Amino acid sequence: MANERLRALEEVEKEIAMILQCAGNIVLELSKDKHNASFLDRQLVQFQSSVNRVENELSSQIRYLTQVATGQPHEGSTYSARKDCQMALNRAEYAKVKLGELGRTCEVMLEQQQQQQQQQQQQQQT
Amino acid sequence: MATQRVLPQSKETLLQNYNKRLKDDIRSILDNFTEIIKTAKIEDETQVSRATQAEQDHYEMHVRAANIVRAGESLMKLVSDLKQFLILNDFPSVNDAISLQNQQLRSLQEECDKKLTSLRDEIAIDLYELEEEYYSSSYSQWDSTDLPLCEAYRQRDSWASPGSSCSSTQGDREDVDGPPSQETNPQHHLNGHGTASIEKP
Repeated sequence: MANERLRALEEVEKEIAMILQCAGNIVLELSKDKHNASFLDRQLVQFQSSVNRVENELSSQIRYLTQVATGQPHEGSTYSARKDCQMALNRAEYAKVKLGELGRTCEVMLEQQQQQQQQQQQQQQT
Repeated sequence: MATQRVLPQSKETLLQNYNKRLKDDIRSILDNFTEIIKTAKIEDETQVSRATQAEQDHYEMHVRAANIVRAGESLMKLVSDLKQFLILNDFPSVNDAISLQNQQLRSLQEECDKKLTSLRDEIAIDLYELEEEYYSSSYSQWDSTDLPLCEAYRQRDSWASPGSSCSSTQGDREDVDGPPSQETNPQHHLNGHGTASIEKP
């Protein structure tokens, strides 16, 4: 919900840029010797629609804020959930470390066993 | 109470200010643009010479164009202020964002813990089998008269009080085995759990 309103305001910013661009295009076209009437009409319609859209959107946002805003600061936070999640990830990481150590110990033991077997085979052959 | 009355008024004043800025900027853009278009109209009858009139028109258009740009910049600033105000004071959306974030973090934590629990259960099963295999093999340091671990595990639940025949045999074992005692001590811990009945007080 919050993202929708912020995205709407970003669209309003683009509309404001469009307003200035249309105004500039219209004046640029009027400065020429021969005007393209259809182009002028299109730019004018776009200019007017952008102005209306900007005004309506900003008015509705201000109206919404008038209804919703209080004088108090918001005191909610996600700290506890974030801390719990962090602890769970730490637990998983610790388990991973311990399992890694166990795996390395097993590999060392297996290598020792293989070496002993090879020595025994060599002794038997001799 | 007086403090509570002041704050909402400042918020209301702020929002009225935003409204005023919006109206003024839109009005400025429209009026200046209209005047530029009117000034672009070619008039034959002028009170001053054409050059002077042209210079005046040029300067007026320049100023009005600057006014339009200034109004556009002011509108952008207004949008930025509204975004800031929304983020700080739009409680419904802030609450939604907080609850969504909490939900995501909790589900991640639960998934992590669930996987760790299943991992623990699997390793416990494998560890039990490994210990059973090891302590019943010839590689273990236990005497043949000692109780095998799996047997001790089965009898653990039936022992009601600490101190039994196993504790006395453990005393003999510790006298016989010196260095390997460090290896035998973990035998009292079955699958990570201590057997209180075997340990000496």
